Amino acid sequence: MRALAVSERDLKRFMRNPFVIIASIFMPLMYLVIMGNSFQGELKHLPVLLVNQDSGPYSRRVVELLQALEDGPRTLEITRENDQKKAVDMVRDGFYKGVIIIPPDFSKNVVKNVEPQVGLLLDNTDSISAGSISGVVSRAMAYLKADYLAVRPDRATPQLRSIELYKKIDYDASLVPGIIVMAIFMGTTFTGAFSLVMDKFLGIHESYLSTPLTRFDLVAGTIMSGVLITTIMSIIVMIGGLMITGIKLAGGIGTLVLLLVTMVLTALGLLSMIFTVLGRADHPRIVGVLVGFLNVIFYFPSGAVYPIESLPNWLRAFAKVNPEAYAVHAFKELILKGSGFTAIRGDLMFFVAFIAFMLCLATLTFKRTM
Amino acid sequence: MAYAAEVKNIVKKFQSVTAVNDVSFSVNEGEIFGFLGPNGAGKTTLIRILTCLMKPTSGQASIRGIDVVKHPSLVRRNIGVVSQALTSDLDLTAYENLNIYGKYFDVPKKERKESIDYLLGKVDLKDRAKDLVATYSGGMRRRLEIARGLIHKPYILFLDEPTIGLDPQSRRVIWELLQKIRKETGLTIFITTHYMDEADVLCDRIGIIDYGKIVALDSPANLKRTIGGFDIIEVTLGNFGPEGMEKLKAMPFVKSVTEKDESLRIYVEDAAKSMPVLFEEFKKTGVIIEYLAIHEQTLEDVFIHYTGKTIREAETQKVNFFIGAGAPRRMPGARI
Ligand SMILES: Nc1ncnc2c1ncn2[C@@H]1O[C@H](COP(=O)(O)OP(=O)(O)OP(=O)(O)O)[C@@H](O)[C@H]1O
Ligand SMILES: [Mg+2]
Repeated sequence: MRALAVSERDLKRFMRNPFVIIASIFMPLMYLVIMGNSFQGELKHLPVLLVNQDSGPYSRRVVELLQALEDGPRTLEITRENDQKKAVDMVRDGFYKGVIIIPPDFSKNVVKNVEPQVGLLLDNTDSISAGSISGVVSRAMAYLKADYLAVRPDRATPQLRSIELYKKIDYDASLVPGIIVMAIFMGTTFTGAFSLVMDKFLGIHESYLSTPLTRFDLVAGTIMSGVLITTIMSIIVMIGGLMITGIKLAGGIGTLVLLLVTMVLTALGLLSMIFTVLGRADHPRIVGVLVGFLNVIFYFPSGAVYPIESLPNWLRAFAKVNPEAYAVHAFKELILKGSGFTAIRGDLMFFVAFIAFMLCLATLTFKRTM
Repeated sequence: MAYAAEVKNIVKKFQSVTAVNDVSFSVNEGEIFGFLGPNGAGKTTLIRILTCLMKPTSGQASIRGIDVVKHPSLVRRNIGVVSQALTSDLDLTAYENLNIYGKYFDVPKKERKESIDYLLGKVDLKDRAKDLVATYSGGMRRRLEIARGLIHKPYILFLDEPTIGLDPQSRRVIWELLQKIRKETGLTIFITTHYMDEADVLCDRIGIIDYGKIVALDSPANLKRTIGGFDIIEVTLGNFGPEGMEKLKAMPFVKSVTEKDESLRIYVEDAAKSMPVLFEEFKKTGVIIEYLAIHEQTLEDVFIHYTGKTIREAETQKVNFFIGAGAPRRMPGARI
């Protein structure tokens, strides 16, 4: 079969130049290590200034509570400063993430019970740190309130308790399904259509366009070799990811088979989609631009790093047709929960339809002439 | 008998350029047919149309009587192509290159193996068969690609400037190779070149193509004969005016005179006999001979006769044109 010969050529060439494959295995794993450690749970060591202008007893209590935050979860790193103006300047100049100001009348207001207030000035350009500081300081204030208002149970601050449905999953472990999808995406960008783009760019395609190879032979042949390379890559990345995060696969052989099926279908889906997009490209730079763009628009709204449920409506709608979202969902079910076929049936059905549609489109739009 | 290839009024236009302009000719079965022309003459474009890589803007072409536009897949089974650019896979060995190419043509395994052995022997690459093509020289790669073009035993082989960039020794090897294959198998060969000697040595018939048009078509011997005169005296003269020119042209043994820059090309039947008479005449009229050369008619002269310039000049013009306003669109396979 001629398409097999196309695959054979492609595979041989990759085997002789394994660098790109090795790099594409290494990169998602690096990403896992870096992302997993950068965003580990809550933020830590945020530098803030404390300006205490009150000498009363309640301000001491506030300082104690803040110090507890510094010593306990290490969210804050507090430096004292007496000059309020200087403190504000230092935040503006970026040396600190915020200033906490206890005004002179604070203790008095607590005693009089007329809404005692603590001033909080934040560097809003770093919204993540700002949100975190504002959160921990309000919580500390709530404790203060609780201290004095404990007698009024109706005003008791509600407590938040998260319930873990599955065994505790660390943030970097929950990234594993995402990096498998990332590895598949990377694999599909330098195999498949890209092989043909490079041939065109180098002028080598002339050699096989004058042979009886049909459009289908070329499309199917390059996609087949792409699926093989990409699936092997994603298996290695999955094993690496599991080793780094220390997760054990929950399911048995059945889960492994389903994992393999999901990998193959994801690779096929992405390869045929990229083939449709790149079928007419003749310069690797076009590929670079398009692939970078596709990576962002498919990866971030896929649930790999941020839950789809929390996305705005229009992005949630996009996620419904985003193949990576289905892949991430399926991998999460299989790897993190050890679910069975029923949990991912919808994902697989989506892929079957998506692949059929994209393969037709790819074959139709592929230009076989020079 | 059907022609091996038949071309009728083929025109190919790219945006503003007419690369092939109303070309008609036919190639006989078993002959080596050559197209001679400078860079940009339209040789590659013509081959691409005949090998179904491009559709003509108008006109018809057929291979073995099969229309190239209507039945491209049938035509592809009958042709072997060695394109101008080197297109073998560097990451594969010679053997793998041939083997995979054979599979593209559905050549059965046993036959493929025999073919590869035979062809690698023919192109003298047998002992390098297991080496990556990346380690090959340009000439070796070209020989491999000729073998590749023959793996499915085509009816006609197209070669687009197969010896471009090769040293004289390697060029001769390829000429001998093609002649030997033709003799053994009766293969029809269609070749383009911008080397005069190549066209002269190799081809049974030659079409001279310039600016997309065929300006002459015949066997090398006939082409040389038809432009008349057998020897050329090339001279640069001092103290020589229009009157002298009139007189020169009127001399009985002078076939024709063409002017080129500072020098004259005087076409005569026999240089040895005419020279003394010429010298006498120049002496009498006080003309000074500053430079003199004699040569026998070559295809170069045929080319000059039909296009009014040497093939090298034609190429320089082309290059100047490229350097001039507006870079040309990137042309796949334009360079080697
Ligand atoms: N794909 C293309 N797009 C636009 N113009 C083209 C294209 N291919 C060829 N041409 C133009 O057609 C003309 C003929 O080009 P062609 O490559 O056929 O010449 P050639 O005789 O093979 O020259 P060379 O000896 O340099 O290979 C040139 O003017 C060239 O610029
Ligand atoms: Mg050419």
